[in-house]
Amino acid sequence: MSRPGVAEPLSAIPASTVRQEVEVESFLPDFCQPRMVFAVVLISELLAVVFALVRVPDGPFWPSLGFISLFVQWLGLTGAALLCVARPRLARLRVAEASATVFALLMLNTAVFSLLAVEVAGGEAVLGIVPGLPASSWTFLLRNEAICVIVTALLLRYFYVSHEWRRHVRAETRSRIEALQARMRPHFLFNTMNTIAALTRSEPATAERAVEDLADLLRATLKASDRPVCFAEELELTRVYARIEALRLGERLRIDWDVGGVPPNARIPSLTLQPLLENAIYHGIEPLPAGGAVVVRGRVDGGQLVITLSNPVDPEAAARPGHRQALDNLRERVRLAYGERGSVETESDAGQFRVTVRLPLET
Amino acid sequence: MSALREVLIVDDEPPARERLERLVGELDGWHVAGTCASGVEAIEQAARLKPNVVLLDVRMPGMSGIETARHLCGLEIPPAVIFTTAYDQYAIDAFEARAVGYLLKPVRRERLESALSYASRVSTALLDGLPRGSGAGPRRHIAARVRDELRLIPIKEIQYFRAEQKYVTVRHLRGEDVIDEPLKSLEDELADQFVRIHRSVLVSLLHVDALEKRGDGYALRLRGGETLPVSRRQLTELKRRLGIG
Repeated sequence: MSRPGVAEPLSAIPASTVRQEVEVESFLPDFCQPRMVFAVVLISELLAVVFALVRVPDGPFWPSLGFISLFVQWLGLTGAALLCVARPRLARLRVAEASATVFALLMLNTAVFSLLAVEVAGGEAVLGIVPGLPASSWTFLLRNEAICVIVTALLLRYFYVSHEWRRHVRAETRSRIEALQARMRPHFLFNTMNTIAALTRSEPATAERAVEDLADLLRATLKASDRPVCFAEELELTRVYARIEALRLGERLRIDWDVGGVPPNARIPSLTLQPLLENAIYHGIEPLPAGGAVVVRGRVDGGQLVITLSNPVDPEAAARPGHRQALDNLRERVRLAYGERGSVETESDAGQFRVTVRLPLET
Repeated sequence: MSALREVLIVDDEPPARERLERLVGELDGWHVAGTCASGVEAIEQAARLKPNVVLLDVRMPGMSGIETARHLCGLEIPPAVIFTTAYDQYAIDAFEARAVGYLLKPVRRERLESALSYASRVSTALLDGLPRGSGAGPRRHIAARVRDELRLIPIKEIQYFRAEQKYVTVRHLRGEDVIDEPLKSLEDELADQFVRIHRSVLVSLLHVDALEKRGDGYALRLRGGETLPVSRRQLTELKRRLGIG
């Protein structure tokens, strides 16, 4: 799983193991873990050092640092403990709600312990840390709250950004694994091998071409990244694939290409069209005794590249397994690449299945 | 030289058929009796050519290899069946579990040779546990033996099954045939579409026209006019299935 792009392109990674990683997880780290507690101690101490450096330009540094450390560590560890206890609840909230809750918890924590510190240490000892400032417990409280808010905001931002980044990396990895699985449909691969074995003696030239076609297809699959390619390139790959299938299915497979309206240099993510055709053949044409026609249509409509594939389906045949996988995979990739500007929609009626992919037109 | 044994090849893909035909043709003692592109065709040909072995693709459009094999078992002299598949893990696991012969495509000559020489008859009992049609759903035909050929009746066209003393009569749009499958197993297998209306009658919901009151009982009228008596015990279930109570 570590190097899905190259390591094991043909291994059957069960879809379930890939799916499990999709579970929603909180952007907040787990403060119950010793590693995280250690990080809290470390960050608290660094903060204490910063405060000490800022606050005592000429005064006795070490005693100040001692006091400040004690206080900041106390706040840090109690804060971590609160977040640890609240974790199961926080995990269920949305990002904004969870953040607000964290703010509220930590500010409350700061307030309680600031006031407690003043009470316990008898005011002077604590407030004396900062010479030259009014020694009131209220300013002490307000200052601590301000620091708490700023530090919390910085940390939350950091947690959020690093979480998003991790999630993005994971989604990309997953979609590559799925792309590989979808491409390397073992059924297709073995049937093609069988076809080539049959043609080797009867039609050596056709067999040779089939091997070249298969090699092109596998190469494109292994290379597949979400790097866009030009439409002409993707169309050529799709035709290569169609040629392989035509050997096997003969007259049962008819493809009606209507893609003249698309500028050949329009950019689309690689392996967009080919998997759609594969889907149409595997789920639509193959189970039909008499076969049928796949209509591939591409056009430009209001600044969008619109690709539509439609194929007949046998209403009586039970759906073959893996029906949604290729489509879900494509949908995810389009979403990652274009966000709201791209879409993959499906509809089926009267024995026809249709997929429509909309992408922003880029050249 | 009467010892040549006959093989029937069934596969929907022309190159796959050609290759098996060539491989079998090159083996000593074996002869290709014919090739077919579909299960329906295979059943007709098998009845006519009486091959010793049928090489049968698992995944075919229309009638799957496994359904075809079930029907072949109904022939007077059922042939031995060896399934062929490119990749169909469920089917392969099931074949392994039941010791049903199978070959992986592309088929190796040596494996083909040994599979042919060890080919044995499959029985319906062996096939019963196999995934029906590998993604093609339940079987879509009932096979009735008429003299030494098999007549395939699309399940959609069947109006009802009626159990007689020793056999079951199938009433369908094109007439009536006799099969030797027990009513109970038909009822279990075709439960989605058929409902028992009487101890000995299993009716297709597709062909029901109306439920009528007759004297102190009920009768079911089929499209086409025929009426069948409904037993009291089955009435509630029938009404439920018809969605009228």
